[in-house]
Amino acid sequence: MASDRERKIRWLSLASLSVLVAAAIGINAWRNVDEYRHRIETDVQPGPTEPDYAGATWRIAQARLIGDGRDTEVVLPGEMRLVIVRLSATATQTIGEGWGQCEVSLGDGTGRRWLPLDVVLSDDLSRDLDPAAEPLDGCGITSLNPPAANETATIEEKFVVPASAVLALSVTLSVGALRPAAIAFPLGLDRS
Amino acid sequence: MGHLLRIFALGMTALVLAMLQTTTPPYAMLTGPIKTAGPQSERVTSATFAIDVATVKQARVLAYDQFGKAVELDTSGMWVVVSAKLEGFRQTMSVRAATLIGASGRRYRQSQRAGGAPDVLASKIVQPGLPTTGLFFFEIPEDELSKMTLVVSEQYDPQLQDEISVSLTPLPGSPQDRLDIGPDGI
Repeated sequence: MASDRERKIRWLSLASLSVLVAAAIGINAWRNVDEYRHRIETDVQPGPTEPDYAGATWRIAQARLIGDGRDTEVVLPGEMRLVIVRLSATATQTIGEGWGQCEVSLGDGTGRRWLPLDVVLSDDLSRDLDPAAEPLDGCGITSLNPPAANETATIEEKFVVPASAVLALSVTLSVGALRPAAIAFPLGLDRS
Repeated sequence: MGHLLRIFALGMTALVLAMLQTTTPPYAMLTGPIKTAGPQSERVTSATFAIDVATVKQARVLAYDQFGKAVELDTSGMWVVVSAKLEGFRQTMSVRAATLIGASGRRYRQSQRAGGAPDVLASKIVQPGLPTTGLFFFEIPEDELSKMTLVVSEQYDPQLQDEISVSLTPLPGSPQDRLDIGPDGI
């Protein structure tokens, strides 16, 4: 026959099991939620000032709309337009690996999101538009070699968007370590 | 009496556990694709993208130009070429995964042999607001042609992502011997 003490320990063990299972599920869920938060941009700080983000001060250096025959002679078919965005970042501290998993995208305020063209296509377009100039790196490549403190880097990304969205476009930038925090600037492009 | 109660409690516990186990959906189902289905005659729309299947053609030989050189591809079965239009709604995406389910229920992924053909949809980027047209290429045995379903998604074996199935209209007549793929498709 089990003693009272043994019986008490047995019930305590059973009761603690439910607490441990709940704790394990809670910790696992918290880890998953935390991991998910580092992949999304929900805390977007809008411009148009020059915000401090990821160890640098950011501003839009240039935004071009190509495809309607005004910026260049290039006319793209139908609704297709090419948007080229240059962002200038002046480092306020040592960045190191702080720009890892850098993402730049365009949004139109209705939930639609355009991602940049890949590096090869982007460089080909740069050479087509200006054969003499060296193509600028995008955010991902620049993150491997960020500017030193008080130095400035310019990054360039290209996007294919419909003409109907051009007026409402804003650019959003975020880095893996700081997501869901991100910064955004209206592009102020004119399609008329 | 105490023994009987313990045996009853044990039996009930085993029964409840067995019920829980048999009614628990497998992990693959819980995290599987979000499915949408429709016929070829309609535009089939999911939350993230839509597909319009325009035409389906079958041929014994595919012919196209690649880098100025004529390419001819034959097959021990039949080439099935699906011409379709894709539209993305939320975010820049690609629809890399296309599978044809034949009459037997066997699943055939896109043929990599025709990867150099013009207008391959799987290698295109779909931008929101800019519908894209192109082709999917399959090689399947001739006896699978009587009933076919096209299944497309961003990637193969999608998890919690949209997957669209389109029941293809049975192909009329006999297959053509040769199908020429031009720069504008079929």
